[in-house]
Amino acid sequence: MARYGMIMDLRTCVGCQACMAACATENQTPFWSGKFRTHVEDKTRGAFPDVTRELLPRLCMHCDNTPCLSACPTGATFMNRDGVVLVNFDRCIGCYACCVACPYDARYPYDREDVDREHELYGKTVTHEMPHVDKCTFCTHRVSEHREPACVSTCPTNTRIFGNLDDAASEVHKLAVSGKARVLNEGLGTSPKVMYIPS
Amino acid sequence: MTFVHQEVWHWQIATYLFLGGLGGATFAISAVLHLFEGCDRKMLSVAIMSSIAFLVIGTIFLLADMLQPLKAIYALTNPRSWIFWGVIFINFYFVSAIAYVIPLLETWPQLLPIIRKIPQPVLSLLERFNKLAALTGSAAGFLVAIYTGLLISAAPAISFWNTPALPLLFVISGFSTGAAYLLLLSTFSKNESAWKITAKLEQLDAVLIVSELIILGAYFNFALFLPTGARASAEYLFHSPVFLVGFFIAGLIVPLAIETYGIFFSGHSKKSGSLLVAASALVLVGGYLLRIYVLKAGIFQYPW
Repeated sequence: MARYGMIMDLRTCVGCQACMAACATENQTPFWSGKFRTHVEDKTRGAFPDVTRELLPRLCMHCDNTPCLSACPTGATFMNRDGVVLVNFDRCIGCYACCVACPYDARYPYDREDVDREHELYGKTVTHEMPHVDKCTFCTHRVSEHREPACVSTCPTNTRIFGNLDDAASEVHKLAVSGKARVLNEGLGTSPKVMYIPS
Repeated sequence: MTFVHQEVWHWQIATYLFLGGLGGATFAISAVLHLFEGCDRKMLSVAIMSSIAFLVIGTIFLLADMLQPLKAIYALTNPRSWIFWGVIFINFYFVSAIAYVIPLLETWPQLLPIIRKIPQPVLSLLERFNKLAALTGSAAGFLVAIYTGLLISAAPAISFWNTPALPLLFVISGFSTGAAYLLLLSTFSKNESAWKITAKLEQLDAVLIVSELIILGAYFNFALFLPTGARASAEYLFHSPVFLVGFFIAGLIVPLAIETYGIFFSGHSKKSGSLLVAASALVLVGGYLLRIYVLKAGIFQYPW
C-alpha cells in the first residue's frame, strides 16, 4: 500500500505540452474534442515591458478529502488503496455531479461521440467502451508494472516527479516535506496529493 | 485566478430543478391546506395528479441529461451524495402522493371503474389513513423542494452556489411557484368554497415573494462584496436583462403588486380573477427563469 503523489517543479516547466500528448495517446483521451486529463495552463500577465509568462501543468489532484467522491451518487468514483482517485466506467451514470464538485477542472464527459470516434481511431484496442466521466488515473496500469505515469516519463525537463509520499526515501516525499511545495486552493481543505514548487 | 462558467448543467437540469420545486411544493401546500382548511377534493386531486406529473417529467429531463440513464439505479449507492438522498426523497414523495390521491380520485365518476379494481381493504385503508398520507406527503414535498437547492450547493469551487442561501432561496421560490400554481387551479374551480382557498393562497404567495426578496437581498449582498467567483456570478446576473426583467420584475415585483392589490383592495372578489391568473403565470415563468439563470451563473474559481 502506497500513497502516490506528484510534485510539479514549476522552475523547470517550458510549456512544451509533451505531457498532454503522452497522456492522450497512452490513455486514448478525446484530444479530437479538446479534452485532456492533463493540461498546461499558459498565462501571460502584465503589459510590455513588465510582462511575465506563467506555466502551470495540472491534472487531477487525487485529493485525500475528495469533493468528487462525496458528490458521486453511484460509488463510481472511488479511492484505491494507494490513494489514487479512480472512476469505475461501468458504474458511472454520467450525472456530472463530480464535474461540478471538482475544484480543479480535472473531469470531463467522455460522451457517445467520443466513444464512436475512439472506435474509429483505435479499433479493437479501445479502453473507453462506454460513455462516462473521465479523469487522470496516475496511470495505475503503468505504475502496477513499476513504470512511471506517461506524463512523468515523457517530461523532458523533469518537471513532474512522481512517487510514494509515505516513502521517506523517495524524492517526492523529500520535496513534499521540504517546505518548498504548495498545494492549489489550500483553503478548500481538499488535501491534494499534487504539489507545486513555485518558479 | 481564473473564472470559468460551468458547462455541464444546462436548461435540462434547470427544468428538473424547477419541476422538482414546483411538484414538491404543490403537494406540500395542498396537503397542509387539506389538513387545516379542508378543501375541494376535485381541485386537490387535480393538484396532486399534476404535481406527480411535474416530478415524472422533471425526472425524465434529469435522466435525458445523463450519459448512462439506464444505469440510474446505481444512484442509490453513496449516501454521502445529495443525488442519493434526492432519489430517496422523490420515491418517498411518489409513494405518499399516490397513497394520498387514490381516495381523492373517487370524486371523478369517470375514474371509478379503475379505482374499483383496487381491492376494497386497500381502498378503505387508504381512506382511513388519508390525513396521515397528507402529513407525510407535505414532509416529502418539502424535502424534494429543498433537495433541488442542496444538490447544486455541493460545489466547493462555485462560490455562488456553495452557500446556505441557495437551498433556502430554492425552497422559498419552489413554494411560491407551488402556491401560484394552486392559485391558478383555484381560480378555475367551480366550487364556491374554492374562493376562500384562493384568498389564503394569495396571501401565502405574497408572503413567500416577500421572503424571496429578503433572501435575494441578503444573497446578493454576500455575493457582491467578496472578491470571489460569487461576485462574478452576481455581476453576470446583474448584466442579464432576462434575469432582471423576466425574473425580478415580471416574476416577483409585478405578481407581488397584483397580489397586494387583490388582498387589500379587491377583497378577493371574482373581479380580480384574471389578474390572479396573470400573477400566477408570471410567478411560474419567473421561477423557471431563476433556475436557468442560477445555473448559467455557476462560475468556477480556479487557482491558475
